[in-house]
Amino acid sequence: MAIKTYEEMNALELDILKEIGSIGGGNAATALSSMLNAKVNMALPEVQILGFNEAMSHLGDPEELVAAIFVEMSGELGGIMLFILTKEFSDEVLHRMLGKSSPEFLAMEEIDSSVLSEIGNIVISSYITAMSSLIGIQVELSVPQFGVNMLGGIMSVPIAMMGQHSDRIMMTTGEFKIDGKALNSNMLLLPDVESLSVLMKKLGVE
Amino acid sequence: MEKKISVGIADMKITRQEGVLITYALGSCIGISFYDPMIKLGALLHIMLPERGRASDANVYKFADSGIQETLRKLCAFGAVKKRMVCKIAGGAKMFEMKGGGGLGNIGERNAQNVKRILMAEGLRVASEDTGANYARTMLLDVATGKVYVRSAGRPERTL
Repeated sequence: MAIKTYEEMNALELDILKEIGSIGGGNAATALSSMLNAKVNMALPEVQILGFNEAMSHLGDPEELVAAIFVEMSGELGGIMLFILTKEFSDEVLHRMLGKSSPEFLAMEEIDSSVLSEIGNIVISSYITAMSSLIGIQVELSVPQFGVNMLGGIMSVPIAMMGQHSDRIMMTTGEFKIDGKALNSNMLLLPDVESLSVLMKKLGVE
Repeated sequence: MEKKISVGIADMKITRQEGVLITYALGSCIGISFYDPMIKLGALLHIMLPERGRASDANVYKFADSGIQETLRKLCAFGAVKKRMVCKIAGGAKMFEMKGGGGLGNIGERNAQNVKRILMAEGLRVASEDTGANYARTMLLDVATGKVYVRSAGRPERTL
């Protein structure tokens, strides 16, 4: 049966998505680890189906300034991949990559944003590569976009995209730990509803 | 103590006499404030898409067209008069540069255009606005004074 709304997903299907998130996230953590030359792992991902405002409050203070790398997915899996970095996470990355002390988000130099953008790009690509080869699907990624903005403003993009057909969004979230330190960051996979049936069929659940 | 009423995404709140209506971090979404100074009645609406595609979609505040209509209906039921109403808008930013101008890339701009078009069709004037660019905005309406404030990161607060 085709899945028409996020609510139709059953516990087994949600578990499978969690497993996919964990494999994608594991691969992304390995990539991040080799770039930062540090031990990086990802906490067990969560899969949630939430209303717009619930999703927002789950992620944090909407006015908090964060950096984000945004990629649109198309092909057999459509939706959005978003890597959100808080100030503490970006400080740690910039310190390790460039050996510099933490610039304010709004006063970042070209080099800072290109480093963060590149890190995001690699992390997202490794996540998707692991996921698509596991499931055996083709996923095309758009050119990654980098931005520093209020968390709520950034989330308005996937919310508006999913909101055309649904009052809820589904997101797989995952947080990285660098050398055992939980620095606030979030790896969001937001599939669109139409892709869910394809995904489940490929995985032999139906 | 000043009463603060928070307006969520695809949401609308009305209050009278005193209190501050606030909606946080508008990205491509639009905040629309409605204020009747004579009776100090104010509403703040937070829409996220320009048009309601399906009439069956029950979440009216998600869309510019149905959201504005429903807000006006409620305000008028509370005694507001359209002729006295002052409307201000904020948001409609472009959060990321997305390729393919027709799609979601310029959703903020489309939202802003549609909101203005609908307000005009309703015979309402946009007294002032802070829309576009690429940064998120928090919008506040002080119902005691009718003043609208917009704050965003790294910029001084604006009074609309």
